[in-house]
Amino acid sequence: MYRSKSKAMALLPWLLVLPVVILRAFTTIYPVTKTIRDSFFDIRLLAGKNVFCGFENYIRMFHDPKVLISIQFTVIFVFVSMFFHITLGVLLAMALNMKFKGQRFLRTIVLIPWAMPSVVAGMAAKWAFNNDYGLINDLIRRIVPSFQYNWLIYRGSARAAVIAVDLWKDLPFFAILVLSNLQFISGDLYEAAKVDGASARQCFTKITLPLIAKGVATLCIPFTLWRLTSFDLVYSMTSGGPGEDTALIAYRITTEAFTNLNIGYASAMAVVLFLIMMAFSLINMRITGSKKFET
Amino acid sequence: MKIKRISNGTSGKIGICIIRWVVFALIAFVVLMPVYWIFISSITPPGELFKSPIEYLPKHPSLESYQFLVSHVGLLEKIRNTIIIIGVTLIVGTFICILGAYGFYRFRDRKGVNLAFLFIVATMLIPEVVTARPLYEFMRKVGLFDTYPGLIILYISSIVPFTILILRGFVGGIPVVLEEAAAIDGAGFWQRMRYIILPLMKPAIATVCIINFISCLNNFFTPLYYSNHIQVLSVAIVQLPLRDNMYGVPWDLTSAMGWIILMPIILFVAIFEKQIMDGIMAGGVKA
Repeated sequence: MYRSKSKAMALLPWLLVLPVVILRAFTTIYPVTKTIRDSFFDIRLLAGKNVFCGFENYIRMFHDPKVLISIQFTVIFVFVSMFFHITLGVLLAMALNMKFKGQRFLRTIVLIPWAMPSVVAGMAAKWAFNNDYGLINDLIRRIVPSFQYNWLIYRGSARAAVIAVDLWKDLPFFAILVLSNLQFISGDLYEAAKVDGASARQCFTKITLPLIAKGVATLCIPFTLWRLTSFDLVYSMTSGGPGEDTALIAYRITTEAFTNLNIGYASAMAVVLFLIMMAFSLINMRITGSKKFET
Repeated sequence: MKIKRISNGTSGKIGICIIRWVVFALIAFVVLMPVYWIFISSITPPGELFKSPIEYLPKHPSLESYQFLVSHVGLLEKIRNTIIIIGVTLIVGTFICILGAYGFYRFRDRKGVNLAFLFIVATMLIPEVVTARPLYEFMRKVGLFDTYPGLIILYISSIVPFTILILRGFVGGIPVVLEEAAAIDGAGFWQRMRYIILPLMKPAIATVCIINFISCLNNFFTPLYYSNHIQVLSVAIVQLPLRDNMYGVPWDLTSAMGWIILMPIILFVAIFEKQIMDGIMAGGVKA
């Protein structure tokens, strides 16, 4: 009797955690293994091909102009977007931290872009940047009546537009997380600084910035990873256009895998992307000492 | 001298007050203007929509675009699909995550259990594009492609890591003594779960459900690639038919569909602002 009960107790933890573990294993371990395997094969469903080809897919990718453009824009996208995430994000967080009557309203409305699907933002943006009937040019024309510009058909402005929409949607989210860092700073520090005659600017550069710097740096890792795998926005807003100029790498991979059906090639790109992401997270764990998940 | 200083002080305060409201107005404008524009576009008759300048107060508001969505695009069916998938995902997903989170925390000193927990956290890093194609082929092979169970399995899987992370942290805040006392009084596992753990975890469960609701509504990749006929709202908006306009974007229908998705979101955000803020700050979830 006692024995069987203790056996049940030994099994209990596994009974509890197995459903979630099996579910996650099913959606990750097998597919990742298969993708790694496929990356060494030349699989083209349209041509009915499936032969081993070693590292050919990996070599080909760095000579493919389409992929190179994708990599180029992905790098630009990540750096420019992250630059504004950090600068504007800290400013927005401080605005959200202002103690005044509009605070709650402000915090509520900035959640809207975060909570809406990227595809809705993307579809609206596609039309908002239209020259004749879009919101953006309409607002500009109220100040400069003769303004005419078709944003999404030129490389530079299309890329800027994609980054702008990404910021519109995601900046509030970044700012809220910075805000949670700001709230940890004790008000006494500012009081003490004021007594010692510090200006508002000194308070910001000598107290606020140093105290949130580490938190903001930690935030940058997941936000960078999300930018690296960003797909929905470009899918709905530009479809990678004009040409391939706004095709982020995740969009490129998906197109190869599901439209062009070059599975081996797409797998190789996915593996490279995955390795880059792993490298980023390892650096992150080194920096933060992987304290986050210890309890 | 003294009087001057005081007046300086008050004018400085007024200055700060003005700056605050200017910042407030700027942020509110940038965030709300596009949302408002989507709304007024959705109630402007298509004939008046393709006009410049934009009329920010539509002269002849109409629900024509919505009626078209219902009669020709199957809006109600897509809303039903979305509700079924998200509803089942939230119920089943939350249930298995509560059990999992409890198991992961209470038995964290067992090596295997802790490794399994780290595995779940680590899988957060795997991007969808890496798993998409093999998973797609697998779902086809086992007949789960384009079915409710198939989609629900993938939806649940997508919310597991975040939910486990948050709930496990919360279980850690429940004193073991409470459970031990109940166990001495003869309460079995399920009784302790039902009368001690669940009531104490209610706020965390609520937060997790609210955020998961939003992230499920946002899920685009899964329904786009793992189903064909079962369409949810986020996919439907990119596959709207182009009615008689020459501009390449069915903005009349897109704005109406966009507003259908935005309405519950705005309502949710307005009601649950606090819980959402707490949840975001606790877990840094990506919608």
